Amino acid sequence: MDFRAIHDHLRAIDAPGLLGSDEPRPPSKEKKDKGRAGDPYLLIDPQLLPQFLHVCRDNPRLSFEMVMDITATDPKKDGEHFWINVQLISVRHKHRLALKCLLPKAHPVLPTCTTVHRTCQWHERECAEMFGITFVGHPDPRHILLPDDWIGFPMRKDYEFPREYHGISCE
Amino acid sequence: MMAVGCAHHDIDRFGAGAFRATPRQSDLMIVAGTVNFKMAERIKRLYEQMPSPKYVIAMGACATGGGPYYKFGYTVVKGVDRVVPVDVYIAGCPPRPEALLEGLMKLQEKIQGTPVIRKPKRTA
Repeated sequence: MDFRAIHDHLRAIDAPGLLGSDEPRPPSKEKKDKGRAGDPYLLIDPQLLPQFLHVCRDNPRLSFEMVMDITATDPKKDGEHFWINVQLISVRHKHRLALKCLLPKAHPVLPTCTTVHRTCQWHERECAEMFGITFVGHPDPRHILLPDDWIGFPMRKDYEFPREYHGISCE
Repeated sequence: MMAVGCAHHDIDRFGAGAFRATPRQSDLMIVAGTVNFKMAERIKRLYEQMPSPKYVIAMGACATGGGPYYKFGYTVVKGVDRVVPVDVYIAGCPPRPEALLEGLMKLQEKIQGTPVIRKPKRTA
């Protein structure tokens, strides 16, 4: 199925947490629209993301049995939201889907997706240490790449670099 | 470093091809990659496990000064010389095999120029 068909099917079965969709479009001068490149994506409510993934996995026409990636994006330094980006792929039907969630920076908490896909563990651990996003219910919430005593969240736009770490100067 | 060990460039011509799998049998450490904070403590421990006299070669841009990670690499040590003393720096990203051999020869020169402390002659 292509993106439009997937979207219509999800609307038809009334998937939980589906808020909207966005597709790339060419720029137009009359509408003063800069256009958008990239992939089409679905906008999901972050608090209902596991339920949504569950529907996507178990629906026989979609059968998104694999999560390729869960990442976050910090689009603006003084913005109010993170993006959570999820890439799904269906090996059986050979189609893929991009999901996005808007997560408020003031309270970056969402339920873990490891209950649906166990692959999400490492992705969520990286996401948690790089952006300071809490995945509630994660079975192993340690750091994955950074040292255990690392302070700060390096992938945030307002991150300040450490001046020294364990006696090693960073100037 | 792999190319230097193999037949075309052949590190054994200089008598330097005795790679050891343990720091306790080695006298030269070649730091051949990016050093991050997690690794820096391990490198320091390895260096301290080597028997004296011991030497360090920082090979490539990353090991000498952080390389492309200098500005925005939040976990990258900006040169391995902030952790252990370095004798020879080799430029390049990655260095040519000839550069590594040149660095080895520079280190041999450096060792040859080191004065040897002699025992004072016994008097009476």
